[in-house]
Amino acid sequence: MHIPDGFLSTPVWAALDLAAVTSVVSLARSTQREIDSSRIPALGVMGAFVFAAQMINFPVGFGTSGHLLGSALLVVTLGPAASAVVMTSILVVQALIFQDGGVLALGANVFNMAVAGVLAAYLPYRIWSAGAFRNMAIFLGGFLSVMSVAALAVAELLVSGIRMGTPVLGVSFGLFFVNALLEGAITIAVVKSLESMRPDWVRAPDSSGRTVLASLAAAAILLAVFGVLFASADPDGLEKLAERAGISGHARNLIVAPLADYELQGAGWAWIRKAGAGLVGVAILTVAVLLLGRLIARRKDA
Amino acid sequence: MHHVVIDRWSRRASLIHAREPRIKLIALAIFLISVATTPGASAAAASGYLAVLIAAILLSGLPLGGVLARAAAVLPFSAAFAVVSWLSGDTQRAAALIGKSYLSAVAVLLVVATTPLERFVRAMEALGTPRLVALVVLFLYRYLFVISEQAQHMRVAAACRAPRRTRLSGGIGFRAAAGAVGVLFARSYARAEGIHRSMFARGFEGRFPTVALDPPRLPDFLFLLLAAALTLAVRIGVRIG
Repeated sequence: MHIPDGFLSTPVWAALDLAAVTSVVSLARSTQREIDSSRIPALGVMGAFVFAAQMINFPVGFGTSGHLLGSALLVVTLGPAASAVVMTSILVVQALIFQDGGVLALGANVFNMAVAGVLAAYLPYRIWSAGAFRNMAIFLGGFLSVMSVAALAVAELLVSGIRMGTPVLGVSFGLFFVNALLEGAITIAVVKSLESMRPDWVRAPDSSGRTVLASLAAAAILLAVFGVLFASADPDGLEKLAERAGISGHARNLIVAPLADYELQGAGWAWIRKAGAGLVGVAILTVAVLLLGRLIARRKDA
Repeated sequence: MHHVVIDRWSRRASLIHAREPRIKLIALAIFLISVATTPGASAAAASGYLAVLIAAILLSGLPLGGVLARAAAVLPFSAAFAVVSWLSGDTQRAAALIGKSYLSAVAVLLVVATTPLERFVRAMEALGTPRLVALVVLFLYRYLFVISEQAQHMRVAAACRAPRRTRLSGGIGFRAAAGAVGVLFARSYARAEGIHRSMFARGFEGRFPTVALDPPRLPDFLFLLLAAALTLAVRIGVRIG
């Protein structure tokens, strides 16, 4: 889900640009502390690898196929902070060279995929990678990274005032769910093939500070799931009424009043309320991510 | 491949190619923000913005049709959402989604296709992008050409060995595909190690000894002034007209 320019309303893209800049700056700092600076080329090569790996199709049946999205695989091989930096770079190249995602919307895409997506891929691996649930954790990382990206993107579009009816939302979430399952399956299959070649390519995360991370994980999953429920419940409940009334009013206004801008004043308040709720959610997620970054950095220093 | 064409275009010479990259980035930001904040879906505003873009493309000497067609890569995504908006009765939104996303894509493509990526990224760094991200973007871009070619070779090789499987899914079996990604990872990793060793031997310490960007000159400022004036004229014209 690469959001192009022109889709998000100004408060949404501006706030997400700000959130993305602050998190990427802090993640880049902790990556620089973590890795030897002469290993920077390797991060670029891994980014190019994710690009190229997307050219390899995985058959799903019924003549269709999917491909690797990559954040969970990066997390397992590079660690979370470096993965976020690599994902950010991939998104920059996609937006600039391939017109895949907008430039003003780059903050939103970076926030969804490089920050929240990587975090969602990392948390299960962080918590369960040591025990018997290791495979499950890798699968869940792939699954959650796709679901949280989809949930955030849909929420941002809804907050920006793009109307999607319940059937459209239902079908898209069905598709996202299938894609997420596929990403989990692909990630685990690729990790298995890597381990059979060279086990030290797959990194085991440290297992200190479990409770903090577990609560962060719970918070992130809750936010991802309930954020969307709220976002999708709102336009279906409140706004559908306003929308019904609005359509007839709209038609009248086109004939009577050329000042089309002012006709939506009533709906404007609902919009501001929703935008406010969305921004609070974004602020909470940002603080969570910054705290996590601080935590990782401190652990590395110790 | 798409990125090869863009790379070739960016190394030509013209009035637009010659402009200072930071100036072009700022002009791009002004244009994108104007488009994003233009209310509603006014056909007059859209044609005004398009006229500004077409004038710039003609000045750059790039093929007009080629640039406009390549930017259309954004349209399938926009069109899907436009149909959804249109079905829910919001025709204005539908038109705005298609118009705004396409105009923005043309503007980004124009700047990227007239600025070699290493200069573009230098300008991003000068405007505050973290150095690590800038470096990783440059390395990613450099090895994108190499590693995607390798993936292409592997795909062709797999198609040659198992032609019947490819007809159905455009690929190979699931586990074989996972193995292929694993092998691609191994080759990329080996390549990264080789690059690391040879760069280390040549004294790479995590920083390129690049020549600093020249400060913008008078023609650059004139370009920025003109670009901003035209863009804002369209943007303000919408409100009045």
